[in-house]
Amino acid sequence: MLRAEPLLRIQLLMLASETQDAALALARFGVFNPAPSTLDALEESPAAAYREAWLEAESRLAKLVEQCGEPRPLQLPENAEAPVLADLQELNRWLKGAWNSCLASHESEAQVEEALGRLDALEETLNKLERLNVDLAHLLRQDSLLAVHIGSVPSTAVKRVTEALSMTGHLVSSFDQVGEQVFAVIAGPRARHEEVHGLLAQAGWREMPVPEELRTHPQAARAWLEQERARLKAESGAECQVMDGLREQFGPRLYEARLRLALARPLAEAAVVGVRGQGGLAALSGWIPRQKLDTLREMLEARFQGRYMLNQRAPVSSEVAEVPSLVRYPAWLEPFVPLVKSYGVPRYGEFDPALPFAITYLLLFGAMFGDIGHGAVILLLAAALYRRLGTMAWVGIAAGAVSMLFGLLYGSIFGYEDIIEPLWLSPLHDPIHVLTIAVAFGVGFIVFTLLVNARNRFIAGQVGEALFDSTGLAGLVFYLGAVGSVVSFAGAADLGWPAGLMAGAGILMVTGFKWVEARAGLGERILVTFIETLETGINLFANTLSFMRVAAFSLNHVALALAIFTLANGLGTAGHWFTIVLGNVVIIVLEGGIVAIQALRLMYYEGFSRFFSGDGTEFMPLRLSPERAKS
Amino acid sequence: MSAYLNTRVSLYAGRLWQDEELDTLLGVADDAFVDRLSRRGLQALVPGFAIPASRQQETRSLEQRIIAQVLDETRVLMRPMSGNARTFMTYWTARFEVSNVKTLLRSKMMGEPPATVLSQLTPMGVFGRLDNQDLAHAEDVGELLRRLEAGPYAGIVRHARRAIELSHDPFNLDAALDRGYYEGLIARGQPLEDTLGLPFRGLMANLVDRINLVWLLRYRFNYKLPPAQVYYLLVGSRYSLTGARLQQLAALDSLEAVLAALPQPWQARLAGAADIPDVFFRMEHAAAEQALSVLRSNAPDTARAFAYLVLRERDLRGVRAALRGRHLGLPDTHIRQALHRAPAEAG
Repeated sequence: MLRAEPLLRIQLLMLASETQDAALALARFGVFNPAPSTLDALEESPAAAYREAWLEAESRLAKLVEQCGEPRPLQLPENAEAPVLADLQELNRWLKGAWNSCLASHESEAQVEEALGRLDALEETLNKLERLNVDLAHLLRQDSLLAVHIGSVPSTAVKRVTEALSMTGHLVSSFDQVGEQVFAVIAGPRARHEEVHGLLAQAGWREMPVPEELRTHPQAARAWLEQERARLKAESGAECQVMDGLREQFGPRLYEARLRLALARPLAEAAVVGVRGQGGLAALSGWIPRQKLDTLREMLEARFQGRYMLNQRAPVSSEVAEVPSLVRYPAWLEPFVPLVKSYGVPRYGEFDPALPFAITYLLLFGAMFGDIGHGAVILLLAAALYRRLGTMAWVGIAAGAVSMLFGLLYGSIFGYEDIIEPLWLSPLHDPIHVLTIAVAFGVGFIVFTLLVNARNRFIAGQVGEALFDSTGLAGLVFYLGAVGSVVSFAGAADLGWPAGLMAGAGILMVTGFKWVEARAGLGERILVTFIETLETGINLFANTLSFMRVAAFSLNHVALALAIFTLANGLGTAGHWFTIVLGNVVIIVLEGGIVAIQALRLMYYEGFSRFFSGDGTEFMPLRLSPERAKS
Repeated sequence: MSAYLNTRVSLYAGRLWQDEELDTLLGVADDAFVDRLSRRGLQALVPGFAIPASRQQETRSLEQRIIAQVLDETRVLMRPMSGNARTFMTYWTARFEVSNVKTLLRSKMMGEPPATVLSQLTPMGVFGRLDNQDLAHAEDVGELLRRLEAGPYAGIVRHARRAIELSHDPFNLDAALDRGYYEGLIARGQPLEDTLGLPFRGLMANLVDRINLVWLLRYRFNYKLPPAQVYYLLVGSRYSLTGARLQQLAALDSLEAVLAALPQPWQARLAGAADIPDVFFRMEHAAAEQALSVLRSNAPDTARAFAYLVLRERDLRGVRAALRGRHLGLPDTHIRQALHRAPAEAG
């Protein structure tokens, strides 16, 4: 829980023809994190074609499922085998054919829709031309000197088309707009007709065919329009039937396709980091927990019966940055993990801060926002929003509970300080005491972070940093000495000389280390050493004072409540209670939010930044399917 | 706009090459060549260059690495920008993604497999707005167009769709996409012209006029398109080559007649130009001179940043020519010809 599980680097060599089954077995194994192979002798990428076929098939399947629907949850049989490349390619071909059938039908439906739209426009045209009293038969005569087009063009192109056509003696007259399409009549000398063809194609001109039926008496034209509309609607109905038929036709096999693609997923995913091979041999590399090695061997033996070779080794120090971190958390700690991960993932071997984070975060929140009533509201709200917030609601529930606990200690309920006696103290009545406790907590927290950092550096093989750096043991010695000196100076204890000596020894060690580490000319080296040593003292001092905000916020909480009571007491009964309720809502929403952020800030910047590099790699095991991964 | 942008542009300006400095890349030993590129922040373009963190770059083509360099520098310059300036700069990078759209459409027309299509696309990094994986797996041009029309380039693609539906000519596709892109650029540049004034307007004018004139000459005299269609394919402009002027130029019958009918100072600059590439080089040279004067002036920082990017891209084209030339083992004289960046050098 406090550190990542020890991992082993494994290399599984097997027959290339069984790679997909090996990947499937490793996905079923559940804790195999693929990693690039370091076997230079294996130069080929035997899974690349497999992944390519899988990607294509997966993309087609997704489109088909969207079109045809496939709501059944996937049940993968325990003994099912992954498809070989040829099977996958065959499946891909089938999916292509199925999708093309759907697409064709879909396309036909879209065309019918478009034709209906055009018919509407034609009717509009007829309405307009009727009003203009133009004889269409005369206007569209083929033997006329005037060439006339009726059609539509995107509205954004109208101005440009008009300007361009004016160069050829053509006129454009718009008569309607439907959506982004402008309907227009273009007329110009037939002799220059050829010049405008390319232009119109480029402009997206869509000729509106004016059938012979429309080039007649308006009443006859209307009858033709109705007839045409009925025909298109019948065609649309037929297309819908075709779609339904396709759903029936493809539906049953879609489930099988989903199944096979889910079984093929492990190798396709493993191919991203690289499955290497040569001739009939292939290798899969990656990380597994050390304690699972025997289980893996048993599983491979049962599945491949000796037709494999498994090599394993512990991670070497040069690759620590690339080793993924696998940390298992108890269920009650899980809700806090995303808050830690939002800062970063701990490196392999680093101290995992989730547990101290959860404890300290709750303590800080409770101390800054201690109130039985407000805590209860937060608790109930988080519980009520459980479905929406998921497991994160537990953070709210725990924060509310701790807030209630501190409310009991402070004797505060909805800001009232005189209803119950404080079990410990009332912040407003003893602010200096509260400030002292907050700073003492900060000292303890910083000492903890320095110790953890020294341990992390030591584990990473950076012994120098662990012992002598400002965030290592030397920094800790200096810090403890400095704190002792301040305590003596304040008269709280008599630690004068020993504490001063400790501080001096600590800062000398830090200075010496900075001097050795600075790689520069003499002047720059002196400057760097001086500034970095000074920074050590200033940082630790500032970080410690930063914890005064814990006390400040606990005082602020009471002060805000007092302000609300003062306002409320100046009003009548209704106004009084309205102000009390509204004021408490403001405290919960505004102050609660600020305190939650401040507690997080203290954890991130005064805590994590001191010992937690956060640039680790998360353990991402090979999974059977996204659905399974989620579960 | 900010001390950051001012300082950053000034620092970047020190990486630019003078025309004669680019010539010195030729005929030097490999070590000196790498050293010269490194000093201009271009070590990522050197063949075989690989530091552990950038191994991925090794698999990219030279063209892709050059674009990655431009995008990276644009990203750095854009940090303090907001509002119209940010919108404009983001759109300026979008031309690489419009190229990706062209590649996708052409590949689909030719029925290439998704893996081949994906390998040809330029990685756009933080500027990427298209889901290349999804688009590359579209079954055909129709499906691809429908997906593109639901994306950020809907406006540009809609123009192209009709053009493709009516004729499967890649020329129609390129012309429609390019015109759509540059019209979008002008629309996004307009608010900046109002706030940044003449320096920025000058840069835009040079860019749009150059594009319009070169396209006009190419469409009219290489592709032999009729004047009305040529005019339609040009970008609507309010600069020195206005719509009326372009109509007049498109109706002329020869390169000489077009050059003679240009307004000053273009007429003087292009007098005696022998062919369309020569026209392009002269116009680009003039644009570079103007960009350099904006960069060295106390113009608004956004205008200076844009001027820098214009110049940097020109430099990178030169570096590309030098790198390719070395790679192919061409003689220095041939590479120098490819580096030909102004008529004076051409002679």
